Amino acid sequence: MDMVSMGLLAAMGALATVAGASEDLESDVGSQSNPNSQVQLAAQVGHPHRIYNKAISGEPPSNALYAALAAVTASVLMSGYGMNAFFAIAIGAVVAAIFNGIYSVTAYMGRNTSQARFNQYVYLDVLRTHTTTIMAHAYITAFCVVTISYIMTAPWLPIQHPFPMPLVAFIWGLAIGAIGSSTGDVHYGAEREFQAYPFGAGLNAANSGDIVTKGEAGLRSSIDNAWFCARFGGPATGMAFGLTVFLDNWRTTIFDPATQGWLAIATGVVIVILFNVYNRILEIRSKKRYGPYPEYAGDIEA
Amino acid sequence: MIAFDANMVLYIIEIVIGGLLVGVGVHFVPVGGAPAAMAQATGVGTGTVQLAAGSGLTGLLSAGLMMGVTDNIALIVISGAVGAMIMVDATMIVGNWVYIYGVGVPPVSAKVDYDPITKEPQPPYISPGTVGHGIPTVSFVSGTIGGLLGGAGGSLIYYALMSINQNPGLSGFFAIGIFVVNAVIASYNIQGTIEGFHDPKFKRVPRAVQACLVASLVIGIFAVLITGGA
Repeated sequence: MDMVSMGLLAAMGALATVAGASEDLESDVGSQSNPNSQVQLAAQVGHPHRIYNKAISGEPPSNALYAALAAVTASVLMSGYGMNAFFAIAIGAVVAAIFNGIYSVTAYMGRNTSQARFNQYVYLDVLRTHTTTIMAHAYITAFCVVTISYIMTAPWLPIQHPFPMPLVAFIWGLAIGAIGSSTGDVHYGAEREFQAYPFGAGLNAANSGDIVTKGEAGLRSSIDNAWFCARFGGPATGMAFGLTVFLDNWRTTIFDPATQGWLAIATGVVIVILFNVYNRILEIRSKKRYGPYPEYAGDIEA
Repeated sequence: MIAFDANMVLYIIEIVIGGLLVGVGVHFVPVGGAPAAMAQATGVGTGTVQLAAGSGLTGLLSAGLMMGVTDNIALIVISGAVGAMIMVDATMIVGNWVYIYGVGVPPVSAKVDYDPITKEPQPPYISPGTVGHGIPTVSFVSGTIGGLLGGAGGSLIYYALMSINQNPGLSGFFAIGIFVVNAVIASYNIQGTIEGFHDPKFKRVPRAVQACLVASLVIGIFAVLITGGA
């Protein structure tokens, strides 16, 4: 372990945290991923809305595509045209953001026009204001993911991962999408979309599709949703991706894989055991704090 | 032109074992699909393939790094397994933060009355109109095992392919392909949601083993021939 490796590792962790947060907020503004099932259902159960609606695909494949696109572009610019890495990655991220914008617009138009029979309109002002917000977040995500991949693969930096940079970016893109869809989206789907219902319960199946469509003033837009999720869901997603990137690389930074491979593995196993213990502590504390539901009428005692 | 020898059979067997590990591993990962994203079902609020692929391929990165410096198969496969476990555990912990602090629900299973590991009662903590929420201890441990199997499987496939062609990019890409095929087959078997090894759906594993065996064998033969010829 040397100071340069440790500094790069810290930079990767920080970039991953920013990327995780922006990825989650991008999916919240665009209402991608699982909570979009409720947005899709809302108009059909009598709640037309001004929420953006772009379920392009699952978040992992779409983010893997954007990250790989940005990395391929950057890679070509660097190796074919000798461009500086910083500018090459920035241009790559712009290409990814443009692709994201194209998919977002077609998804929004297609989904909302297909719901015309339920009085769901296509709002051109929503399209204009939200698409740029989505693209801006996608740019940040792609830039950070490709920079992490560059740090891992650049021949003049210490890690020198054997995979080509686009493949590393593809894998991190897939991982960031999986994490964003598993963590931050729950804050959007279970809390923000159903804020009219009391805090402290999951969505009752009977209330499906009854999403909040009115805002503090006027009608609620997806930018309002990103404002709310930026307070917890987004940063939490950043923490998850940052932890993954940092811890996974930390153990191979402090222990040289070539000579101390087993120590690196043992460190990983200890981290995994600590995660399991911490989850148990979380479970105990939450049950103690919240207690059983008063409506419960079964025989099994809490 | 490639020469077909006994080693080729060994590589195909390694790919098949890797594929089976992935197929079985996906059954351990607790995923609640779209309902879980609304705290309506126990498990992580994403799709089966998504989380399994995210964790397994993070493991592949660790295995790739390890294979760059050593040929020890145990070191490579276990390194991949540990990388995948770290990713899936970090995701589940933060997922639980969001359920507990963001939505205000305790992690609870709806498929069993008592958690098989902690022996704690589950039904009183299920909010009305849902089938559980969050990631309780049994699901968390199950998810960790899922990460272990998925990461080990992906790394074993990568190891076999690397032994043939020594090309990390090509082997990595084929390993991702074989991984995803097995994960998708397993998720058809799961049909959307599973809480972990205590879920009644887990009894369907033998069917997935059969399907993954056939798929991995066919893909394994082609993968060895294609990547060996590169």
